[in-house]
Amino acid sequence: MTWSEIQPLLFQGFWDTLYMVGWSALIALAGGLPLGVLLVLTDKGGMLQNAPVNKVVGAVVNVGRSLPFIILLIALIPFTRFVVGQSVGSTAAIVPLAIGAIPFFARLVETAVREVDRGLVEAVQAMGGGTPTVVFKALLPQALPSLVAGLTTTVIVLIGYSAMAGTVGGGGLGSVAVQYGYQRFETSVMLATVVALIVIVTAVQIIGDAVVRLLAAGRGGAGGDGGASRRLARLGRGRTVAVAAAVVVPLALIGYGIGQGGEDKQTLRIAASPTPHAEILEYVQKHLAAKEGLKLDVRKFNDYVVPNTATESGEVDANFFQHKPYLDDFNKKQHTDIRPVVNVELEPLGLYSKKEQSLKDIGDGDTVAVPNDSTNEGRSLHLLAKHGLIELKPGAGQEATLGDIADTNGLKFKELEAAAVPRALDDVDAAVINGNYAVDADLNPAKDALVAEQAKGNPYANFLAVKDGKQHDPRIEKLAKLLNSQQVKKFIEHKYQGAIEPVFGSVGS
Amino acid sequence: MITTKDLTKVYRTRDREVTALDGVDLHVSEGEVFGVVGQSGAGKSSLIRCVNLLERPTSGTVSVAGQELTALAGSGKRAGKELRAARGRIGMVFQHFNLLSSRSVLGNVELPLEILGYSGQERTRKARELLDLVGLADKAKAHPAQLSGGQKQRVGIARALAGDPKVLLSDEATSALDPETTRSVLQLLRDLKEQLGLTVLLITHEMDVVKAVCDSAALMKNGRITESGTVPELLATPGSELARELFPVGGVPSAPGRTVVDVTFHGATTTEPVISKLSRTYEVDISILGAAMDTVAGKQVGRMRIELPGSFEDNVVPIGFLREQGLTVDVAAVAAAARDDENTDAARGTAGLAKEGAK
Ligand SMILES: Nc1ncnc2c1ncn2[C@@H]1O[C@H](COP(=O)(O)OP(=O)(O)O)[C@@H](O)[C@H]1O
Ligand SMILES: [Mg+2]
Repeated sequence: MTWSEIQPLLFQGFWDTLYMVGWSALIALAGGLPLGVLLVLTDKGGMLQNAPVNKVVGAVVNVGRSLPFIILLIALIPFTRFVVGQSVGSTAAIVPLAIGAIPFFARLVETAVREVDRGLVEAVQAMGGGTPTVVFKALLPQALPSLVAGLTTTVIVLIGYSAMAGTVGGGGLGSVAVQYGYQRFETSVMLATVVALIVIVTAVQIIGDAVVRLLAAGRGGAGGDGGASRRLARLGRGRTVAVAAAVVVPLALIGYGIGQGGEDKQTLRIAASPTPHAEILEYVQKHLAAKEGLKLDVRKFNDYVVPNTATESGEVDANFFQHKPYLDDFNKKQHTDIRPVVNVELEPLGLYSKKEQSLKDIGDGDTVAVPNDSTNEGRSLHLLAKHGLIELKPGAGQEATLGDIADTNGLKFKELEAAAVPRALDDVDAAVINGNYAVDADLNPAKDALVAEQAKGNPYANFLAVKDGKQHDPRIEKLAKLLNSQQVKKFIEHKYQGAIEPVFGSVGS
Repeated sequence: MITTKDLTKVYRTRDREVTALDGVDLHVSEGEVFGVVGQSGAGKSSLIRCVNLLERPTSGTVSVAGQELTALAGSGKRAGKELRAARGRIGMVFQHFNLLSSRSVLGNVELPLEILGYSGQERTRKARELLDLVGLADKAKAHPAQLSGGQKQRVGIARALAGDPKVLLSDEATSALDPETTRSVLQLLRDLKEQLGLTVLLITHEMDVVKAVCDSAALMKNGRITESGTVPELLATPGSELARELFPVGGVPSAPGRTVVDVTFHGATTTEPVISKLSRTYEVDISILGAAMDTVAGKQVGRMRIELPGSFEDNVVPIGFLREQGLTVDVAAVAAAARDDENTDAARGTAGLAKEGAK
């Protein structure tokens, strides 16, 4: 991509990030400050000593802090919808961001307030001050530098969290990096967004440090608790590195499954998506493989990149999760040599709606959610075009994007991560959903879809794939035969009830 | 002005109980400076913190200026409105000053005035007056971190005076200061007492502080008051440990069969040539084993250890003469043979109190 194409992405991402982080930081401040103070006051020996309240608040804060943010993001969807009336978009992302940051900031507030000399509290009490006086005239002003340092840290953590907002269509720089750089191999976009993130994080840290230093200087420097805030500020400087690590480490962890498992030469290691691919492989493993003298080691990945890179490097012997257009694109951009062996099944993409009963009811002014990764988006737009909902520009390829639409017929689109589309179904008029995600969301492509892709001649059938040259490994040949057996056909038809269709045979070019 | 009756304070920790105050009856009269001395852990801080109910006593009563504070609602940590108002009328000065680094010197003095509900202008005017009173008018804009220890304590004193208190509590206010600064801060306390008619209850482990400012004193040991009274009274009390600590005199008899007598002079007697009179009247050879002279609460006080020839029975008449002259006379139970005992005894007494000075 060229700079002129990247620039609007960066700008939009920047504003989305600013919008989400700004609001959620404000809410975290408003929520975390009283919670943190309450934790100190109700603690043993505190002014409002109250063990039950302290334990409950402490437990809530700990639970909030220990939940991985991505889980919070998904778990809070009903709550988010209740609070802001929608579960997708930047505004919707603010709710989980704020709720994730409140307990984090509350603990920092608690630490900062605890560092205030007890003698000061006693002095204010001796003057006749009550609890509010102690809090507002002694504890908070004395802890101010540490509180500012804590808020800085919280904002930076929020910037990191906001990278995951793409899951619910929140946008922001982080999701631009994931969507374009990671899923579509647009390295230039990834680099640009990562650089932009580092610049923002550094700027926030510098501003935070400056405020802390200014406050400390206003106290004549060598103040007793100036030391604490300065220590906190110094700690914060390591954050820039931490955020960079936060971007890289999860990507590395996705591949964690690779190093695991037996080293038995006879055992065939296969990387697969959990549903339905791994389920089909496990069926083969249990019921068919032993008779053929074949041992399988099935490894599950939620990700679409690592299974291929692991196959290419030989860390696994085969994979089963992808279709032809995706693999072709991957081979081209990653310079890999992965070849399809045999087709197994198709997860037909379907158009679903909770609001409308038939295709005819969808039109002018309606919003349609589509997956945001390149192949699924293209595939969705072709499905919609085939059924006359939109018109594509002549020559629009398999990776068509919203820009390739010639006539929207008044439809509006919302791009979401494929896995998140079913969750957004309540908030849009219709959505294009992948078969496997539809099954996960209790939707049946055969019964519930307004329209669905056809199996015949469909380029999106999923196949077993190996590194070029391994096609004739006898173990692979055995597995290919088993995957195309009558038993597997029956298993798929019976288990998925039309949501997933068996599509066997060699892969067309 | 301050009266405690049968005051008891028991701290309960998870595994044990500590009785910090064990039936303390204390009476501080209006307008006096009352010093409480004792070793570390004796319960001095517990006592003073019970006086303004920062710590709620386990039992007993505390009255300040005729108001029974222990009858007011709330505890040390969660004080009711009336108790908070009463605290506003009692000033308190701390060992480690406890000034807010987030406020200027003026701001620190304004804080109690804010609590008392003074308006902005009134507050600044009054705070400036108070700073003037402690000699820090020029430091109003400075921050506590920029002040010396003595200056910080002056700010602490100005702050304690904000509510126009009749009573000032001071917990080791000079213990973090060097001797020079200690002297000037004590002088300030004494001046303020005269000027404002304050009643001061001060806690210290330094005898010099008692000598310099106290009208009365009490000795605390293991949560109990073992001696208490005005300084002259204490000095006139035979066998008073406080008196001995205030004026340690040493010296052992030159030979067995002699009588050793400790004589304390105060008031007019200090200027009378009593010893030479005694020598001339009874024609006895008196040797002086040790002596100390000092100013206590603005008065000259002296103490002397003398040796008379012969046994106590031989000296009944001369000792009677000394008492007639208005002196406090203590026959020291020492003999030449008991020399070592006496030495170590005296040494222990002073070392005991001196110990805390080192911390
Ligand atoms: N908050 C407390 N909890 C438990 N024990 C305490 C507490 N405060 C003081 N004590 C104990 O009470 C005793 C008296 O302490 P304190 O009044 O501080 O003595 P002093 O001021 O004379 O050194 C000591 O044994 C001390 O350990
Ligand atoms: Mg003490």
